Amino acid sequence: MSDVAPILAVEDVRKRFGGLVAVNGATFNVAPGSITALIGPNGAGKTTLFNNVSGFYRADSGRITFLGHRIDGSTPHRIAQRGLVRTFQLTKALTHMSVLDNVMLAGPDQPGEHLWRVYVQPRGVRRREHELRTIAMELLRFVKLDGHAEAYAGSLSGGQRKLLEFARALMSSPEMVMLDEPTAGVNPTLAAQLLDYVLELRRDTGMTFLLIEHDMEIVMSVSDRVVVMSEGRVIAEGTPDVVRRDPKVVDAYLGTHADTSAEEGGDVPE
Amino acid sequence: MSQFLNAAFWTFVGIEAGIYTIFALGLQIQFGVTGLLNFGHAAFMAIAAYTMAILVVKVEMPLWQASLLAIGAAMLFGLLIGLPTLRLRADYLAITTIAFAEIVRYIALNESALTGGPQGTIALAGGNQIAFYNSSWQSFQGAIQDPVARLFPGELGHDPNFTMLLIIWAVALVLLAVAHHAVRSPWGRVLRSIREDEDAAAALGKNAFSYKLQALVVGAGLGAIAGLFYAFQFSFFSPPDFAPLTTFFAFVIVIIGGVGRIWAVPIGSVIFGIIFAGTRFFTFPPFSWLASADRAYVRLIVIGLILIGLMAFRPQGLLGKKEELTI
Repeated sequence: MSDVAPILAVEDVRKRFGGLVAVNGATFNVAPGSITALIGPNGAGKTTLFNNVSGFYRADSGRITFLGHRIDGSTPHRIAQRGLVRTFQLTKALTHMSVLDNVMLAGPDQPGEHLWRVYVQPRGVRRREHELRTIAMELLRFVKLDGHAEAYAGSLSGGQRKLLEFARALMSSPEMVMLDEPTAGVNPTLAAQLLDYVLELRRDTGMTFLLIEHDMEIVMSVSDRVVVMSEGRVIAEGTPDVVRRDPKVVDAYLGTHADTSAEEGGDVPE
Repeated sequence: MSQFLNAAFWTFVGIEAGIYTIFALGLQIQFGVTGLLNFGHAAFMAIAAYTMAILVVKVEMPLWQASLLAIGAAMLFGLLIGLPTLRLRADYLAITTIAFAEIVRYIALNESALTGGPQGTIALAGGNQIAFYNSSWQSFQGAIQDPVARLFPGELGHDPNFTMLLIIWAVALVLLAVAHHAVRSPWGRVLRSIREDEDAAAALGKNAFSYKLQALVVGAGLGAIAGLFYAFQFSFFSPPDFAPLTTFFAFVIVIIGGVGRIWAVPIGSVIFGIIFAGTRFFTFPPFSWLASADRAYVRLIVIGLILIGLMAFRPQGLLGKKEELTI
Protein backbone atom coordinates (compact mmCIF):
# COMPACT_ATOMS: atom_id res chain seq x y z
CA MET A 1 0.00 0.00 0.00
CA SER A 2 2.63 2.50 1.05
CA ASP A 3 4.78 2.13 -2.06
CA VAL A 4 2.04 3.68 -4.24
CA ALA A 5 1.87 7.48 -4.17
CA PRO A 6 -1.35 8.43 -2.34
CA ILE A 7 -4.07 10.17 -4.32
CA LEU A 8 -4.95 12.18 -1.23
CA ALA A 9 -2.54 13.00 1.59
CA VAL A 10 -3.70 14.71 4.75
CA GLU A 11 -0.82 15.82 6.94
CA ASP A 12 -1.16 17.23 10.43
CA VAL A 13 -4.32 19.20 9.66
CA ARG A 14 -5.71 21.34 12.47
CA LYS A 15 -8.96 23.27 12.62
CA ARG A 16 -10.26 25.08 15.63
CA PHE A 17 -13.51 26.97 16.18
CA GLY A 18 -12.88 29.39 19.02
CA GLY A 19 -12.14 27.17 22.01
CA LEU A 20 -13.13 23.93 20.30
CA VAL A 21 -10.41 22.02 18.51
CA ALA A 22 -12.39 20.05 15.95
CA VAL A 23 -9.48 18.56 14.04
CA ASN A 24 -6.27 18.28 16.01
CA GLY A 25 -3.42 17.18 13.78
CA ALA A 26 -5.07 14.56 11.60
CA THR A 27 -2.77 12.62 9.29
CA PHE A 28 -3.66 9.86 6.83
CA ASN A 29 -3.31 8.83 3.20
CA VAL A 30 -5.82 7.55 0.70
CA ALA A 31 -4.43 5.14 -1.91
CA PRO A 32 -5.61 5.54 -5.51
CA GLY A 33 -8.35 3.11 -6.43
CA SER A 34 -9.11 2.30 -2.80
CA ILE A 35 -12.30 2.48 -0.82
CA THR A 36 -11.37 4.06 2.46
CA ALA A 37 -13.80 4.44 5.33
CA LEU A 38 -13.45 7.29 7.80
CA ILE A 39 -15.08 6.28 11.06
CA GLY A 40 -15.19 7.55 14.61
CA PRO A 41 -17.68 8.49 17.31
CA ASN A 42 -19.90 11.54 16.89
CA GLY A 43 -17.88 14.73 17.29
CA ALA A 44 -14.63 13.05 16.29
CA GLY A 45 -14.08 15.66 13.56
CA LYS A 46 -14.86 13.58 10.47
CA THR A 47 -17.16 16.06 8.77
CA THR A 48 -14.93 18.99 9.72
CA LEU A 49 -12.07 17.17 8.07
CA PHE A 50 -14.22 16.61 4.97
CA ASN A 51 -14.95 20.31 4.88
CA ASN A 52 -11.24 21.09 5.11
CA VAL A 53 -10.30 18.68 2.35
CA SER A 54 -13.07 19.93 0.03
CA GLY A 55 -12.13 23.57 0.62
CA PHE A 56 -15.24 24.68 2.49
CA TYR A 57 -13.13 25.32 5.59
CA ARG A 58 -9.60 26.58 5.57
CA ALA A 59 -7.33 24.52 7.83
CA ASP A 60 -5.44 26.47 10.51
CA SER A 61 -2.34 24.45 9.72
CA GLY A 62 -1.21 21.32 7.94
CA ARG A 63 -0.99 20.19 4.34
CA ILE A 64 -3.54 18.56 2.09
CA THR A 65 -2.32 17.18 -1.22
CA PHE A 66 -4.50 15.78 -3.99
CA LEU A 67 -2.90 14.17 -7.05
CA GLY A 68 0.36 15.87 -6.18
CA HIS A 69 -1.15 19.36 -5.86
CA ARG A 70 -1.51 21.27 -2.60
CA ILE A 71 -5.21 21.92 -2.18
CA ASP A 72 -5.26 23.37 1.32
CA GLY A 73 -6.13 27.04 0.83
CA SER A 74 -7.80 26.30 -2.49
CA THR A 75 -11.48 27.00 -3.12
CA PRO A 76 -14.24 24.35 -3.30
CA HIS A 77 -14.88 24.83 -7.01
CA ARG A 78 -11.19 24.49 -7.91
CA ILE A 79 -10.86 21.34 -5.83
CA ALA A 80 -13.96 19.91 -7.51
CA GLN A 81 -12.54 20.84 -10.92
CA ARG A 82 -9.39 18.89 -10.05
CA GLY A 83 -11.55 15.81 -9.73
CA LEU A 84 -12.23 15.59 -6.00
CA VAL A 85 -15.96 15.88 -5.37
CA ARG A 86 -17.98 15.40 -2.24
CA THR A 87 -21.51 14.87 -1.06
CA PHE A 88 -23.01 16.38 2.05
CA GLN A 89 -24.25 14.77 5.22
CA LEU A 90 -27.27 17.07 5.14
CA THR A 91 -28.09 16.79 1.48
CA LYS A 92 -27.87 19.82 -0.73
CA ALA A 93 -30.37 18.89 -3.40
CA LEU A 94 -31.27 21.92 -5.51
CA THR A 95 -34.90 21.57 -4.51
CA HIS A 96 -36.46 24.04 -6.94
CA MET A 97 -34.77 22.48 -9.95
CA SER A 98 -35.72 19.25 -11.65
CA VAL A 99 -33.97 16.02 -10.67
CA LEU A 100 -32.51 15.80 -14.18
CA ASP A 101 -31.24 19.39 -14.04
CA ASN A 102 -29.60 18.62 -10.71
CA VAL A 103 -27.57 15.85 -12.30
CA MET A 104 -26.90 17.59 -15.61
CA LEU A 105 -25.56 20.62 -13.75
CA ALA A 106 -22.58 18.50 -12.72
CA GLY A 107 -21.79 17.42 -16.27
CA PRO A 108 -18.25 18.34 -17.29
CA ASP A 109 -17.05 20.14 -20.41
CA GLN A 110 -20.30 21.87 -21.28
CA PRO A 111 -19.23 24.88 -23.38
CA GLY A 112 -22.65 26.42 -22.80
CA GLU A 113 -21.67 27.28 -19.25
CA HIS A 114 -19.93 30.26 -20.83
CA LEU A 115 -22.52 32.85 -21.81
CA TRP A 116 -20.84 33.91 -25.05
CA ARG A 117 -20.53 30.33 -26.26
CA VAL A 118 -24.28 29.87 -25.84
CA TYR A 119 -24.62 32.22 -28.80
CA VAL A 120 -21.36 31.57 -30.67
CA GLN A 121 -21.46 27.77 -30.82
CA PRO A 122 -25.07 26.82 -30.23
CA ARG A 123 -24.69 23.48 -32.00
CA GLY A 124 -21.78 22.39 -29.84
CA VAL A 125 -23.75 23.36 -26.74
CA ARG A 126 -26.79 21.40 -27.92
CA ARG A 127 -24.73 18.35 -28.83
CA ARG A 128 -23.02 18.29 -25.44
CA GLU A 129 -26.35 18.84 -23.72
CA HIS A 130 -27.70 15.80 -25.53
CA GLU A 131 -24.73 13.67 -24.44
CA LEU A 132 -25.02 14.86 -20.86
CA ARG A 133 -28.73 14.09 -20.79
CA THR A 134 -28.00 10.51 -21.86
CA ILE A 135 -25.35 10.04 -19.16
CA ALA A 136 -27.54 11.71 -16.54
CA MET A 137 -30.51 9.48 -17.36
CA GLU A 138 -28.28 6.43 -17.09
CA LEU A 139 -27.12 7.49 -13.65
CA LEU A 140 -30.68 8.25 -12.60
CA ARG A 141 -31.79 4.85 -13.82
CA PHE A 142 -29.10 3.31 -11.67
CA VAL A 143 -30.26 5.08 -8.50
CA LYS A 144 -33.88 4.32 -9.45
CA LEU A 145 -34.77 7.99 -9.84
CA ASP A 146 -35.31 7.96 -13.62
CA GLY A 147 -39.06 7.99 -13.04
CA HIS A 148 -38.63 11.26 -11.17
CA ALA A 149 -36.34 12.93 -13.72
CA GLU A 150 -38.74 15.78 -14.47
CA ALA A 151 -39.95 16.17 -10.87
CA TYR A 152 -38.59 18.87 -8.62
CA ALA A 153 -35.79 17.60 -6.43
CA GLY A 154 -37.70 19.06 -3.48
CA SER A 155 -40.34 16.39 -3.92
CA LEU A 156 -37.84 13.60 -3.18
CA SER A 157 -37.54 11.89 0.19
CA GLY A 158 -34.43 12.23 2.33
CA GLY A 159 -33.05 8.90 1.16
CA GLN A 160 -33.74 9.72 -2.48
CA ARG A 161 -31.90 13.00 -2.07
CA LYS A 162 -28.85 11.07 -0.85
CA LEU A 163 -29.02 8.98 -4.01
CA LEU A 164 -29.47 12.08 -6.14
CA GLU A 165 -26.35 13.61 -4.62
CA PHE A 166 -24.46 10.41 -5.27
CA ALA A 167 -25.53 10.41 -8.92
CA ARG A 168 -24.68 14.10 -9.20
CA ALA A 169 -21.19 13.56 -7.79
CA LEU A 170 -20.55 10.75 -10.28
CA MET A 171 -21.88 12.90 -13.12
CA SER A 172 -18.87 15.17 -12.78
CA SER A 173 -16.66 12.15 -13.70
CA PRO A 174 -14.37 12.64 -10.72
CA GLU A 175 -11.06 10.98 -9.82
CA MET A 176 -12.15 10.63 -6.22
CA VAL A 177 -15.46 10.91 -4.40
CA MET A 178 -15.92 11.75 -0.75
CA LEU A 179 -19.26 10.49 0.54
CA ASP A 180 -20.54 11.84 3.85
CA GLU A 181 -22.83 9.13 5.24
CA PRO A 182 -24.10 7.99 1.82
CA THR A 183 -26.47 5.34 3.13
CA ALA A 184 -28.05 7.22 6.05
CA GLY A 185 -31.80 7.22 5.46
CA VAL A 186 -31.58 5.12 2.31
CA ASN A 187 -33.57 1.90 2.36
CA PRO A 188 -31.34 -1.17 2.89
CA THR A 189 -31.90 -2.70 -0.54
CA LEU A 190 -30.99 0.51 -2.34
CA ALA A 191 -28.09 1.14 0.04
CA ALA A 192 -26.69 -2.28 -0.82
CA GLN A 193 -27.04 -1.48 -4.52
CA LEU A 194 -25.32 1.84 -4.05
CA LEU A 195 -22.39 0.12 -2.38
CA ASP A 196 -22.28 -2.52 -5.12
CA TYR A 197 -22.04 0.32 -7.59
CA VAL A 198 -19.19 1.87 -5.62
CA LEU A 199 -17.35 -1.46 -5.78
CA GLU A 200 -18.10 -1.80 -9.47
CA LEU A 201 -16.86 1.70 -10.27
CA ARG A 202 -13.69 1.13 -8.33
CA ARG A 203 -13.10 -2.13 -10.19
CA ASP A 204 -13.92 -0.83 -13.68
CA THR A 205 -12.64 2.74 -13.60
CA GLY A 206 -10.25 2.79 -10.68
CA MET A 207 -12.24 5.54 -9.01
CA THR A 208 -11.23 6.27 -5.42
CA PHE A 209 -13.75 6.59 -2.59
CA LEU A 210 -13.48 8.04 0.88
CA LEU A 211 -16.62 7.62 2.92
CA ILE A 212 -17.82 8.57 6.33
CA GLU A 213 -20.02 5.74 7.53
CA HIS A 214 -21.56 4.73 10.83
CA ASP A 215 -22.85 1.33 9.83
CA MET A 216 -20.02 -1.03 10.80
CA GLU A 217 -21.34 -3.86 8.69
CA ILE A 218 -20.98 -1.67 5.62
CA VAL A 219 -17.57 -0.40 6.69
CA MET A 220 -16.24 -3.89 7.21
CA SER A 221 -17.65 -5.35 4.01
CA VAL A 222 -16.94 -2.56 1.54
CA SER A 223 -13.78 -0.77 2.56
CA ASP A 224 -10.27 -2.00 2.07
CA ARG A 225 -8.91 0.50 4.52
CA VAL A 226 -10.32 2.12 7.62
CA VAL A 227 -9.21 5.37 9.23
CA VAL A 228 -10.46 5.88 12.77
CA MET A 229 -10.74 9.37 14.23
CA SER A 230 -11.36 10.37 17.80
CA GLU A 231 -11.21 13.83 19.34
CA GLY A 232 -9.80 15.34 16.15
CA ARG A 233 -6.98 12.83 15.74
CA VAL A 234 -6.44 9.73 13.69
CA ILE A 235 -6.04 7.02 16.32
CA ALA A 236 -5.89 3.96 14.11
CA GLU A 237 -5.52 3.09 10.47
CA GLY A 238 -5.42 -0.20 8.59
CA THR A 239 -7.46 -2.97 7.09
CA PRO A 240 -10.91 -3.51 8.60
CA ASP A 241 -9.72 -6.65 10.36
CA VAL A 242 -6.78 -4.96 12.02
CA VAL A 243 -8.78 -1.92 13.06
CA ARG A 244 -11.65 -3.81 14.66
CA ARG A 245 -9.23 -5.57 16.97
CA ASP A 246 -7.37 -2.40 17.93
CA PRO A 247 -7.99 -1.71 21.65
CA LYS A 248 -7.68 2.06 21.05
CA VAL A 249 -10.65 1.88 18.70
CA VAL A 250 -12.75 -0.02 21.20
CA ASP A 251 -11.82 2.57 23.82
CA ALA A 252 -12.74 5.47 21.55
CA TYR A 253 -16.20 4.07 20.95
CA LEU A 254 -16.92 2.84 24.45
CA GLY A 255 -14.83 5.11 26.61
CA THR A 256 -12.03 3.65 28.70
CA HIS A 257 -14.56 2.32 31.17
CA ALA A 258 -16.70 0.40 28.80
CA ASP A 259 -19.31 -0.45 31.40
CA THR A 260 -20.22 3.15 32.27
CA SER A 261 -20.79 4.73 28.87
CA ALA A 262 -22.09 2.38 26.27
CA GLU A 263 -24.80 4.58 24.71
CA GLU A 264 -23.18 4.31 21.33
CA GLY A 265 -23.63 0.57 21.41
CA GLY A 266 -25.00 0.40 17.88
CA ASP A 267 -21.79 1.75 16.42
CA VAL A 268 -19.41 -0.62 18.20
CA PRO A 269 -17.28 -2.69 15.92
CA GLU A 270 -17.98 -6.29 16.69
CA MET B 1 -62.92 59.97 -18.48
CA SER B 2 -62.29 60.99 -22.08
CA GLN B 3 -58.64 60.07 -21.58
CA PHE B 4 -59.70 56.51 -21.02
CA LEU B 5 -60.33 56.04 -24.73
CA ASN B 6 -57.46 58.20 -25.82
CA ALA B 7 -54.94 56.28 -27.95
CA ALA B 8 -52.17 58.80 -27.30
CA PHE B 9 -52.52 58.30 -23.58
CA TRP B 10 -52.27 54.51 -23.80
CA THR B 11 -49.36 54.85 -26.21
CA PHE B 12 -47.58 56.72 -23.48
CA VAL B 13 -48.45 53.99 -20.96
CA GLY B 14 -47.08 51.43 -23.41
CA ILE B 15 -43.79 53.31 -23.71
CA GLU B 16 -43.38 53.36 -19.95
CA ALA B 17 -44.22 49.66 -19.74
CA GLY B 18 -41.62 48.95 -22.43
CA ILE B 19 -38.91 50.88 -20.61
CA TYR B 20 -39.83 49.12 -17.38
CA THR B 21 -39.73 45.77 -19.17
CA ILE B 22 -36.09 46.26 -20.15
CA PHE B 23 -35.27 47.68 -16.73
CA ALA B 24 -36.95 44.86 -14.79
CA LEU B 25 -35.50 42.23 -17.13
CA GLY B 26 -32.08 43.12 -15.72
CA LEU B 27 -33.41 42.65 -12.19
CA GLN B 28 -35.09 39.37 -13.17
CA ILE B 29 -31.72 37.94 -14.22
CA GLN B 30 -29.99 39.24 -11.09
CA PHE B 31 -32.67 38.62 -8.50
CA GLY B 32 -35.14 36.21 -10.09
CA VAL B 33 -32.69 33.81 -11.68
CA THR B 34 -29.50 34.19 -9.66
CA GLY B 35 -30.93 35.31 -6.31
CA LEU B 36 -28.90 38.51 -6.02
CA LEU B 37 -30.61 41.11 -3.86
CA ASN B 38 -29.89 44.20 -5.92
CA PHE B 39 -31.73 47.05 -4.23
CA GLY B 40 -29.94 49.72 -6.25
CA HIS B 41 -30.93 48.83 -9.79
CA ALA B 42 -31.98 52.42 -10.55
CA ALA B 43 -28.32 53.43 -10.24
CA PHE B 44 -27.43 51.57 -13.46
CA MET B 45 -30.23 53.42 -15.23
CA ALA B 46 -28.95 56.73 -13.82
CA ILE B 47 -25.32 56.08 -14.70
CA ALA B 48 -26.16 55.25 -18.30
CA ALA B 49 -28.57 58.16 -18.81
CA TYR B 50 -26.21 60.70 -17.27
CA THR B 51 -23.10 59.35 -19.00
CA MET B 52 -24.82 59.55 -22.36
CA ALA B 53 -26.20 63.07 -21.77
CA ILE B 54 -22.91 64.41 -20.43
CA LEU B 55 -20.88 62.96 -23.30
CA VAL B 56 -23.26 64.36 -25.89
CA VAL B 57 -23.63 67.82 -24.36
CA LYS B 58 -20.18 68.44 -22.89
CA VAL B 59 -17.91 66.34 -25.11
CA GLU B 60 -20.13 66.69 -28.21
CA MET B 61 -19.79 63.00 -28.85
CA PRO B 62 -22.15 61.38 -31.38
CA LEU B 63 -25.21 59.92 -29.66
CA TRP B 64 -24.59 56.28 -30.66
CA GLN B 65 -21.04 56.31 -29.45
CA ALA B 66 -22.05 58.03 -26.21
CA SER B 67 -24.81 55.45 -25.71
CA LEU B 68 -22.44 52.51 -26.08
CA LEU B 69 -19.99 54.10 -23.66
CA ALA B 70 -22.88 54.74 -21.27
CA ILE B 71 -23.86 51.05 -21.28
CA GLY B 72 -20.20 50.17 -20.75
CA ALA B 73 -19.98 52.58 -17.82
CA ALA B 74 -23.01 51.05 -16.10
CA MET B 75 -21.62 47.55 -16.58
CA LEU B 76 -18.26 48.66 -15.22
CA PHE B 77 -19.97 49.98 -12.11
CA GLY B 78 -21.78 46.67 -11.81
CA LEU B 79 -18.41 44.96 -11.84
CA LEU B 80 -16.94 47.38 -9.29
CA ILE B 81 -19.84 46.97 -6.89
CA GLY B 82 -19.86 43.19 -7.31
CA LEU B 83 -16.15 42.55 -6.79
CA PRO B 84 -16.03 43.38 -3.08
CA THR B 85 -19.56 42.31 -2.14
CA LEU B 86 -20.40 39.11 -4.02
CA ARG B 87 -18.02 37.04 -1.92
CA LEU B 88 -20.00 38.06 1.14
CA ARG B 89 -23.39 36.86 2.28
CA ALA B 90 -26.39 37.91 0.17
CA ASP B 91 -27.59 40.59 2.57
CA TYR B 92 -24.36 42.56 2.23
CA LEU B 93 -24.99 42.99 -1.47
CA ALA B 94 -28.44 44.34 -0.63
CA ILE B 95 -27.03 46.93 1.77
CA THR B 96 -24.21 47.92 -0.56
CA THR B 97 -26.44 48.34 -3.59
CA ILE B 98 -28.88 50.58 -1.71
CA ALA B 99 -25.98 52.74 -0.56
CA PHE B 100 -24.43 52.74 -4.03
CA ALA B 101 -27.64 53.87 -5.71
CA GLU B 102 -28.12 56.65 -3.18
CA ILE B 103 -24.53 57.79 -3.65
CA VAL B 104 -25.07 57.95 -7.41
CA ARG B 105 -28.28 59.94 -6.94
CA TYR B 106 -26.70 62.36 -4.47
CA ILE B 107 -23.74 62.96 -6.75
CA ALA B 108 -26.18 63.72 -9.56
CA LEU B 109 -28.01 66.08 -7.23
CA ASN B 110 -25.00 67.94 -5.89
CA GLU B 111 -22.32 67.93 -8.57
CA SER B 112 -24.20 70.56 -10.55
CA ALA B 113 -21.24 71.39 -12.77
CA LEU B 114 -21.13 67.79 -13.98
CA THR B 115 -24.78 66.76 -13.97
CA GLY B 116 -26.93 69.86 -13.94
CA GLY B 117 -27.81 69.24 -10.29
CA PRO B 118 -31.40 69.36 -9.06
CA GLN B 119 -32.57 71.06 -12.24
CA GLY B 120 -31.59 68.01 -14.19
CA THR B 121 -29.92 67.66 -17.56
CA ILE B 122 -31.60 70.79 -18.87
CA ALA B 123 -28.92 72.70 -16.94
CA LEU B 124 -26.06 70.55 -18.23
CA ALA B 125 -24.56 73.29 -20.37
CA GLY B 126 -24.27 75.67 -17.41
CA GLY B 127 -25.28 79.33 -17.28
CA ASN B 128 -28.77 80.03 -18.56
CA GLN B 129 -28.36 77.86 -21.62
CA ILE B 130 -30.79 75.04 -22.14
CA ALA B 131 -28.94 71.80 -22.82
CA PHE B 132 -30.34 69.29 -25.25
CA TYR B 133 -28.80 65.88 -25.87
CA ASN B 134 -31.60 64.42 -27.90
CA SER B 135 -31.39 65.87 -31.40
CA SER B 136 -29.73 62.82 -33.00
CA TRP B 137 -32.35 60.55 -31.51
CA GLN B 138 -35.16 62.74 -32.73
CA SER B 139 -33.79 62.88 -36.25
CA PHE B 140 -33.42 59.08 -36.17
CA GLN B 141 -37.01 58.79 -35.05
CA GLY B 142 -38.03 61.29 -37.71
CA ALA B 143 -36.35 59.16 -40.36
CA ILE B 144 -38.44 56.11 -39.54
CA GLN B 145 -41.60 58.13 -39.02
CA ASP B 146 -42.57 57.91 -42.70
CA PRO B 147 -42.49 54.12 -43.01
CA VAL B 148 -44.40 53.87 -39.73
CA ALA B 149 -47.02 56.31 -41.02
CA ARG B 150 -47.39 54.18 -44.15
CA LEU B 151 -47.82 51.02 -42.11
CA PHE B 152 -50.26 52.59 -39.68
CA PRO B 153 -52.41 55.07 -41.56
CA GLY B 154 -54.35 57.56 -39.52
CA GLU B 155 -53.56 59.67 -36.53
CA LEU B 156 -51.61 56.95 -34.69
CA GLY B 157 -48.98 56.51 -37.40
CA HIS B 158 -48.13 60.20 -37.25
CA ASP B 159 -47.69 60.28 -33.49
CA PRO B 160 -43.95 60.26 -32.69
CA ASN B 161 -44.79 58.55 -29.41
CA PHE B 162 -46.25 55.65 -31.34
CA THR B 163 -42.97 55.28 -33.25
CA MET B 164 -41.15 55.31 -29.92
CA LEU B 165 -43.53 52.63 -28.66
CA LEU B 166 -42.66 50.41 -31.62
CA ILE B 167 -38.90 50.95 -31.23
CA ILE B 168 -38.90 50.25 -27.50
CA TRP B 169 -41.01 47.12 -27.76
CA ALA B 170 -38.97 45.84 -30.71
CA VAL B 171 -35.81 46.21 -28.63
CA ALA B 172 -37.54 44.78 -25.55
CA LEU B 173 -38.74 41.70 -27.42
CA VAL B 174 -35.28 41.03 -28.86
CA LEU B 175 -33.73 41.38 -25.41
CA LEU B 176 -36.40 39.16 -23.88
CA ALA B 177 -35.76 36.46 -26.49
CA VAL B 178 -32.00 36.63 -25.97
CA ALA B 179 -32.42 36.53 -22.18
CA HIS B 180 -34.86 33.65 -22.40
CA HIS B 181 -32.33 31.67 -24.40
CA ALA B 182 -29.53 32.51 -21.95
CA VAL B 183 -31.55 31.51 -18.89
CA ARG B 184 -32.54 28.17 -20.43
CA SER B 185 -28.95 27.43 -21.45
CA PRO B 186 -26.39 25.59 -19.30
CA TRP B 187 -25.22 29.06 -18.21
CA GLY B 188 -28.67 29.79 -16.83
CA ARG B 189 -28.73 26.41 -15.13
CA VAL B 190 -25.60 27.35 -13.20
CA LEU B 191 -27.18 30.69 -12.22
CA ARG B 192 -30.26 28.90 -10.88
CA SER B 193 -28.14 26.43 -8.95
CA ILE B 194 -26.40 29.37 -7.28
CA ARG B 195 -29.76 30.87 -6.32
CA GLU B 196 -30.64 27.53 -4.74
CA ASP B 197 -27.43 26.71 -2.93
CA GLU B 198 -24.10 28.28 -3.65
CA ASP B 199 -22.21 25.58 -1.76
CA ALA B 200 -23.77 22.81 -3.80
CA ALA B 201 -22.78 24.63 -7.00
CA ALA B 202 -19.23 25.12 -5.72
CA ALA B 203 -18.99 21.46 -4.70
CA LEU B 204 -19.70 20.61 -8.34
CA GLY B 205 -16.92 22.84 -9.61
CA LYS B 206 -18.92 25.97 -10.43
CA ASN B 207 -17.22 29.27 -9.65
CA ALA B 208 -20.21 30.89 -7.96
CA PHE B 209 -18.49 34.24 -7.55
CA SER B 210 -17.73 34.56 -11.24
CA TYR B 211 -21.28 33.64 -12.23
CA LYS B 212 -22.81 36.08 -9.76
CA LEU B 213 -20.57 38.79 -11.16
CA GLN B 214 -21.68 37.95 -14.70
CA ALA B 215 -25.34 38.11 -13.71
CA LEU B 216 -24.85 41.44 -11.97
CA VAL B 217 -23.01 42.95 -14.94
CA VAL B 218 -25.49 41.64 -17.54
CA GLY B 219 -28.36 43.00 -15.43
CA ALA B 220 -26.57 46.33 -15.14
CA GLY B 221 -26.28 46.47 -18.92
CA LEU B 222 -30.03 45.93 -19.28
CA GLY B 223 -30.72 48.60 -16.66
CA ALA B 224 -28.48 50.89 -18.70
CA ILE B 225 -30.39 50.28 -21.94
CA ALA B 226 -33.61 51.13 -20.09
CA GLY B 227 -31.94 54.31 -18.80
CA LEU B 228 -31.03 55.36 -22.33
CA PHE B 229 -34.58 54.89 -23.59
CA TYR B 230 -35.84 56.79 -20.60
CA ALA B 231 -33.55 59.67 -21.55
CA PHE B 232 -34.49 59.51 -25.25
CA GLN B 233 -38.18 59.56 -24.45
CA PHE B 234 -38.21 62.43 -22.00
CA SER B 235 -35.61 64.79 -23.51
CA PHE B 236 -34.51 65.76 -20.05
CA PHE B 237 -34.33 64.08 -16.66
CA SER B 238 -33.26 64.82 -13.11
CA PRO B 239 -32.05 62.91 -10.03
CA PRO B 240 -35.45 62.09 -8.46
CA ASP B 241 -36.21 59.93 -11.51
CA PHE B 242 -33.72 57.42 -10.10
CA ALA B 243 -34.94 57.36 -6.50
CA PRO B 244 -35.17 54.00 -4.66
CA LEU B 245 -38.86 53.88 -5.62
CA THR B 246 -37.80 53.19 -9.22
CA THR B 247 -35.92 50.07 -8.12
CA PHE B 248 -38.89 49.11 -5.97
CA PHE B 249 -41.17 49.29 -9.03
CA ALA B 250 -38.90 46.83 -10.84
CA PHE B 251 -39.24 44.44 -7.89
CA VAL B 252 -43.02 44.87 -8.01
CA ILE B 253 -43.01 43.99 -11.72
CA VAL B 254 -40.86 40.91 -11.19
CA ILE B 255 -43.01 39.73 -8.30
CA ILE B 256 -46.34 40.37 -10.07
CA GLY B 257 -45.16 38.54 -13.18
CA GLY B 258 -43.33 35.70 -11.48
CA VAL B 259 -39.84 35.45 -10.02
CA GLY B 260 -37.33 33.75 -12.30
CA ARG B 261 -39.51 33.75 -15.42
CA ILE B 262 -38.32 35.88 -18.31
CA TRP B 263 -41.69 36.29 -20.06
CA ALA B 264 -43.25 37.29 -16.76
CA VAL B 265 -41.41 40.60 -17.02
CA PRO B 266 -43.38 42.18 -19.92
CA ILE B 267 -46.63 40.92 -18.40
CA GLY B 268 -45.75 42.37 -15.02
CA SER B 269 -44.69 45.63 -16.66
CA VAL B 270 -47.91 46.05 -18.63
CA ILE B 271 -50.05 45.30 -15.57
CA PHE B 272 -47.97 47.66 -13.50
CA GLY B 273 -48.22 50.35 -16.18
CA ILE B 274 -52.00 50.01 -16.37
CA ILE B 275 -52.43 50.19 -12.59
CA PHE B 276 -50.10 53.13 -12.40
CA ALA B 277 -51.86 55.07 -15.13
CA GLY B 278 -55.27 53.66 -14.31
CA THR B 279 -55.62 55.33 -10.93
CA ARG B 280 -55.92 58.54 -12.93
CA PHE B 281 -59.45 57.46 -13.75
CA PHE B 282 -60.47 57.09 -10.13
CA THR B 283 -62.63 60.18 -10.36
CA PHE B 284 -65.56 58.63 -8.49
CA PRO B 285 -66.18 58.60 -4.73
CA PRO B 286 -64.45 58.01 -2.41
CA PHE B 287 -61.44 59.02 -4.51
CA SER B 288 -63.10 62.18 -5.79
CA TRP B 289 -63.15 63.49 -2.24
CA LEU B 290 -59.39 63.79 -2.45
CA ALA B 291 -57.62 66.68 -4.10
CA SER B 292 -56.28 65.59 -7.49
CA ALA B 293 -52.68 65.91 -6.33
CA ASP B 294 -53.39 63.56 -3.44
CA ARG B 295 -55.21 61.16 -5.71
CA ALA B 296 -51.94 60.46 -7.51
CA TYR B 297 -50.75 58.70 -4.39
CA VAL B 298 -53.72 56.35 -4.42
CA ARG B 299 -51.87 54.30 -7.04
CA LEU B 300 -49.14 53.49 -4.54
CA ILE B 301 -51.80 52.26 -2.15
CA VAL B 302 -53.38 50.20 -4.91
CA ILE B 303 -50.02 48.67 -5.84
CA GLY B 304 -49.37 47.92 -2.20
CA LEU B 305 -52.75 46.22 -1.85
CA ILE B 306 -52.18 44.18 -5.00
CA LEU B 307 -48.82 43.04 -3.69
CA ILE B 308 -50.37 42.00 -0.38
CA GLY B 309 -53.13 40.15 -2.20
CA LEU B 310 -50.65 38.44 -4.49
CA MET B 311 -48.47 37.34 -1.59
CA ALA B 312 -51.53 35.89 0.13
CA PHE B 313 -53.15 34.12 -2.81
CA ARG B 314 -50.56 33.70 -5.55
CA PRO B 315 -47.10 34.25 -4.09
CA GLN B 316 -45.41 32.82 -7.18
CA GLY B 317 -46.76 35.66 -9.35
CA LEU B 318 -48.87 35.25 -12.46
CA LEU B 319 -46.48 33.09 -14.48
CA GLY B 320 -44.38 31.63 -11.69
CA LYS B 321 -44.49 28.05 -10.49
CA LYS B 322 -45.24 27.48 -6.85
CA GLU B 323 -42.62 24.72 -6.69
CA GLU B 324 -39.92 27.16 -7.73
CA LEU B 325 -40.77 29.76 -5.14
CA THR B 326 -37.60 30.61 -3.28
CA ILE B 327 -38.42 33.80 -1.44
